[in-house]
Amino acid sequence: MIPSIGSQLVDLGSALLLLTCFAIVAQRRLSACVDLFALQSVFLALTATLVAFLTGIHHIYIAAALTIVIKAIVIPRILKKVIERLNVSRELVMHINVPASLLICGMLVMVAFLITQPIIPLGHLLTRDSLAIALAIVLIGFFTMIARQKAVTQMIAFLVMENGLFLGATAATYGMPLVVELGVFFDVLVAALIAGIYTNRLQDAFDSVDTAHLSELKE
Amino acid sequence: MSDLPTTLAVTLLLLAPLVAGGLSLLLTSSRWLHVTNLTSIGTLVAAEVMIARSVLEQGSLTAFSEIVYIDALSSVILFIIGTVGLACSLYMRSYMDEQVARGVIAPKRLNLFFFLFHMFLMTMVVATVANSLGVQWVAIEATTLTTTFLIAFWRRRESLEAGWKYLILCSVGISLALFGVVLMYYSSLRVLGDVSSALNITQLQQVASQLDPHILKLAFVFLFVGYGTKVGLVPMHSWLPDAYTEAPAPVAAMLAGVLETVAVYAILRCRGIVDQAVPPDFTGGLLAIFGLVSFALAAFFILLQHNYKRLFAYSSIEHMGLAMVGFGIGGPIGNFGGLFHLVNHALAKSLAFFAAGNIHRRFKTVEITEIHGLTTVLPWSALALLIAGLALAALPPFALFASEMQILTALGSSGLPGEWTQPGTRFPIVVLLFCSLVAFGGLLYRITSMVWGVAPADIVSGEQWSVGHVPIILLGAVLVGFCWALPPPLQQLFEAASTLLVNR
Repeated sequence: MIPSIGSQLVDLGSALLLLTCFAIVAQRRLSACVDLFALQSVFLALTATLVAFLTGIHHIYIAAALTIVIKAIVIPRILKKVIERLNVSRELVMHINVPASLLICGMLVMVAFLITQPIIPLGHLLTRDSLAIALAIVLIGFFTMIARQKAVTQMIAFLVMENGLFLGATAATYGMPLVVELGVFFDVLVAALIAGIYTNRLQDAFDSVDTAHLSELKE
Repeated sequence: MSDLPTTLAVTLLLLAPLVAGGLSLLLTSSRWLHVTNLTSIGTLVAAEVMIARSVLEQGSLTAFSEIVYIDALSSVILFIIGTVGLACSLYMRSYMDEQVARGVIAPKRLNLFFFLFHMFLMTMVVATVANSLGVQWVAIEATTLTTTFLIAFWRRRESLEAGWKYLILCSVGISLALFGVVLMYYSSLRVLGDVSSALNITQLQQVASQLDPHILKLAFVFLFVGYGTKVGLVPMHSWLPDAYTEAPAPVAAMLAGVLETVAVYAILRCRGIVDQAVPPDFTGGLLAIFGLVSFALAAFFILLQHNYKRLFAYSSIEHMGLAMVGFGIGGPIGNFGGLFHLVNHALAKSLAFFAAGNIHRRFKTVEITEIHGLTTVLPWSALALLIAGLALAALPPFALFASEMQILTALGSSGLPGEWTQPGTRFPIVVLLFCSLVAFGGLLYRITSMVWGVAPADIVSGEQWSVGHVPIILLGAVLVGFCWALPPPLQQLFEAASTLLVNR
């Protein structure tokens, strides 16, 4: 079976998303991480628009537009402001250094493909490979969360996970029901706002947003 | 199908906390904030009673063109939300006022507290009555967002740390659950076609047996890990002791009593669908093994605690683990035991946190070793602590003893589900008995050392009667009473709910 141009384009979009994931893992400068996240959200919106165009399902357009507004414009702005106010520009201490992290992420991608192997053939022809990539992005976000210490990086990792989930929803099911998608967007936006407030308060209380300092509550 | 009174009750159920939350933002006087709070929670409870009645008559009901779905199981969860919520509201009447009087919180921030409290209640109600698994997910993530500031409400370093940890861990966990929901939708679309109702429980239940088992298995693993983080199952529990220690006492009571229960409910809902396509041993095995591990580890952690709030936190993990074992084994006894255990734990744990809140306010410390002679310093709270402690240690005549016995009986008669153990092996039941002995000893040793002895000289003795004592007395009475006799409507409700879980 020859894959159609459409499905190849969707695959390309998903692959670009995965690529930005690796770039985020490799990037030490926080503001660059935010830019990369915004770029990833743009790729996500483009992929979703493509799927919407190819399938003719209209509510995906709404989700794509929301992705641009919330994840590519509003949330990056919030994060940039937080970074500015906090005077932290770099991730200084890492639990796992960049080359090792990239290697682990590569393995996570393989794991994702392995896990989704049995269920991929059941999916829509157009987007079936994106499901594996989506899971890979979720796992990489999960890993980044553990491996990085700055509150801002952890927040970006969480948002990357959300991007992965959104790609998964678009790929596997051509988007969740609209009400659910709106709810998810709302939750993500509020989560970003709350995290912004937290970094502020943590800064006041600890003079740092390095979560390694958050160790007073130990057994 | 729903008739007019039921629709009205459902509307009230959803609107009461929403309106009260909005009003709280506008109000400034503490008196009116409490009035709004009590009115709203009173309406909530009244609506729940009406809903429970019609559920008992009709079996299940849907409202607003199938957006809302309520059956006996969700009614039981609503019962827990209402009871613990009411108790917390009464307790807050004296607790919050004292905190304002002592200057711990600025009077201006009181309305923020009530706003978040109402939103917390609302998100939990939505998570319980939502027909769509997607909406349920959105609501459960929203509980994380509303509670994180409640946990960090004192704004001390430790509370900020606990709130941040809770936000990050639970958001991540719950993101994994969203992947599970996506997979669930993925499987149901293949049967139901691209309709937005394909995530509705009412729809999924009808076609569950035709869904693809591979996808469902994967979906359930993600859902279980995600919601399991919220339940506080080992190894995803590390946020829980910090959050319970730092949260204001009524919030800790809500987290321990209600939020965990709602998360368990979400797991049970998904399980009901997965089990029709996949052999039930798969989900049962996961639940029972994670439950047993949580139970065993938490029992030993109880021994190590020197902070009474952490003690109760680990006891929460222990009891949730035990309830999971009950649900995992399944069958009429296991499911009823698990459900009854959830209810009893919610009541006992909120009582425990109320007592802990009173003790903390008087002694200003959470160290067990610095607290002695509660019987003379705070006689009523001492009694409450003792009742809660004995109940949580699952001593007869408390209802937790009855439910723990039911779970043990189920384990003894059917063993752990799945291929985890050989049929007939006694190992799990020995582990369970031994660990409950450990937890029993640990809990009672700590609590008796607080209750008796000579009080430190610098602590004022005597306890003034306040509104906050009403829920303490009521919860204590109910805990003792439930072991002797369950009121017939409640018993019918629990039985209907566990029948739902058994038959699915």
